[in-house]
Amino acid sequence: MRPESLTVFIIDDDAAVRDSIALMLGLKGYRTAVFSDAEAFLAAWREDWSGCVIADVRLPGQSGVELQDALRKRAIALPFVIITAHGDVATARAAFRSQAVDFLEKPFDNAQLFAAIETAFGLEERRIQRIDGQRKDAKKLARLTAREHQVLEQAAQGLHAKEIAAALGISPRTVEVHKTRIMEKLGVRNVAELVRFSMAAMPPDSGRN
Amino acid sequence: MQARPMKLLRYLRDAAVFAPCYVALDWASYIDPVGPFNITPWNPQPALAIVWMMLGGLMHAPAVLATILLVDIIVRHAPGGYVIAATTAIVLASGYATIAWALKSLLSDIGLRSTRQLTIFAVVVVAGTGVVGAGFIGVLSTAGLLAGTPFSNAWLRFWVGDAVGILVTAPLLFAASDAMRRSALLSLARRPEALLQATILGATVWLIFEGFSKDPSRQFYLLFLPLIWIAVRFGMNGAILATAIVQMGVVLGVHSDVGASLPVLEIQALLVALTLTGLFLGVMVDQRQRAEEGLRQTLRLAAAGEMAGAIAHEVNQPLTAVTNYGRSAQMLLERDQPGLPQAREIIGKILSEAERAAEVIRRLRDFFRAGTTRLEEVQLPELLAAVRRMGESAIEGKGISLEIENPKSLPALFVDRLQVEVVLRNLIANAVESVLGAGRQDGRIRVSVQRQDDRHLRIVVVDNGPGVSAANRERLFEPFVSGKASGMGLGLAISRAIAEAHGGSLEAGKAGHGEFHLILPCVQRA
Repeated sequence: MRPESLTVFIIDDDAAVRDSIALMLGLKGYRTAVFSDAEAFLAAWREDWSGCVIADVRLPGQSGVELQDALRKRAIALPFVIITAHGDVATARAAFRSQAVDFLEKPFDNAQLFAAIETAFGLEERRIQRIDGQRKDAKKLARLTAREHQVLEQAAQGLHAKEIAAALGISPRTVEVHKTRIMEKLGVRNVAELVRFSMAAMPPDSGRN
Repeated sequence: MQARPMKLLRYLRDAAVFAPCYVALDWASYIDPVGPFNITPWNPQPALAIVWMMLGGLMHAPAVLATILLVDIIVRHAPGGYVIAATTAIVLASGYATIAWALKSLLSDIGLRSTRQLTIFAVVVVAGTGVVGAGFIGVLSTAGLLAGTPFSNAWLRFWVGDAVGILVTAPLLFAASDAMRRSALLSLARRPEALLQATILGATVWLIFEGFSKDPSRQFYLLFLPLIWIAVRFGMNGAILATAIVQMGVVLGVHSDVGASLPVLEIQALLVALTLTGLFLGVMVDQRQRAEEGLRQTLRLAAAGEMAGAIAHEVNQPLTAVTNYGRSAQMLLERDQPGLPQAREIIGKILSEAERAAEVIRRLRDFFRAGTTRLEEVQLPELLAAVRRMGESAIEGKGISLEIENPKSLPALFVDRLQVEVVLRNLIANAVESVLGAGRQDGRIRVSVQRQDDRHLRIVVVDNGPGVSAANRERLFEPFVSGKASGMGLGLAISRAIAEAHGGSLEAGKAGHGEFHLILPCVQRA
């Protein structure tokens, strides 16, 4: 099920173009918001917004591609669809280098626009699910005791109960008890799932992807 | 079957033209010789033979050989006897043929258009005539016919004579054999400035020979001044004609010298230096001019490309909107309960967007109504009167004042009147829009003209609207910057393209109000 809040943010300096895109997408059932330039969008931006951006390359002030770079620098992963009234190779290359979902030349095919938005929304949904999952996992992890954390770390490296017991200076039996309790708290059914969970929730290097 | 006799006929006909010319040149240039032989400090006739063999091919070598032999008999009565005459003729003809062959295979064409080609030409001619001279004098010396004149002396004289003759005459013949260059030379000869230069050049030659008397080689350097002037103004063609004139002057001077005491060899050696200077300078001037023309053409193309992009953009915007609105209307009508009032509203928007696209095309047609650029003298008062008419209709009933400064004693513009009017109308329309957009009650627009430099005038259109922000100034002329439906962005892009096609420019001023500077070429005062 698609989250209700996914919005198409339309940024184009041509009033008729942004109005017509908003109208068409609105009739198609999308939530839309329009901005006349990149600065207006950035000023209005809120953390909990999600969806995708349709931006013209040429805007007064910051260009569509520059806006995308600015968002990436702020770690905002909003997918972009770049549109332009003259498809020069240089802008297309810049747009793709910055990983825009699609690059459409005006006047574009409506089906292409819808397809690009669907792709973008797909990316966005996966991102939201991933974030939700991580958030839940973090909550579950927070319920573990300090000792349970230690046991989980060792188990995640694939060590057996005896080895863990030796490393932590406790009996293998106690380790087994801890493991059972951890699996209970995290809602996993076997050791393999436990390892997978700890990999996803506690990446070895950093918390970021 | 017919080809051979035709070929033979043409060969004989060419030879019949070549031989008399060669004989006449030899006779005319038979001055200051060593003994009775053709060892003179001026030999233009080899140039004729070499150019003929270059253009017509080496099959003309036998005719050249026969002519050289003939001329020795007619002009000098074969002073060394017929055997010597035949031997020297063979040496000369084969030598000239070799020079012709070398030039033809080393030069891609006979235009002498680059310093490289000119260097090849000069080196081959100077080295080749040196070798030919050594052979010719060698034959005479071996036969004991030089009678007291040292070998080196006679050789130097022959060498300088042949080299200067070819260096001066061959470029002239090259130019004369090419229809376009020939007409360029002829039109050059009719220009008043060229006539003045030729007169000054002739007067300088006279001054050197008659005015200062005694030793002309001491004042010879004076000739460099007019030659450089001519080469700089008229390039290779000027240099060719100028050196020919100097050579003629030198020949006349030598002929009129009763006592025959002039140092002809030194003068001719100086003439080699003069000729090479003139030719190299001329080629460099031509090269630079060609490069400039190429650059201008490139700029013109770039402007055209920019304009095509501008047009595509300006038409694409409304077209995009039309497509989206159309799809929206379709979706509305496909619903179970068609949203008729909303569909009607959307169709209204479609129509206005279509009108906007049509307006772009109309404006475009306006710009190019004049077709190709036609430059003419446009008097400032006339142009400014037209600007006043356009301006007054643009500000009518809008509470804006229009002030047009009528400048005194400025030259006429040299522009396409229609295109420049369109640019000015566009600038005024922008100013009106800008003033109105700012909601000013005391809107003011002022047009003034100043002198930019010798060749350009600056027309300044100032308004008291908000002007252009520093950030936007850079991109103002990119057609897509203004997102306005009015197509003002397109207007500025095309206006700039027009100004640049005229060799002028269009810039936005840095002031905190609207200000545009249009620079256009004007008529140069003589």
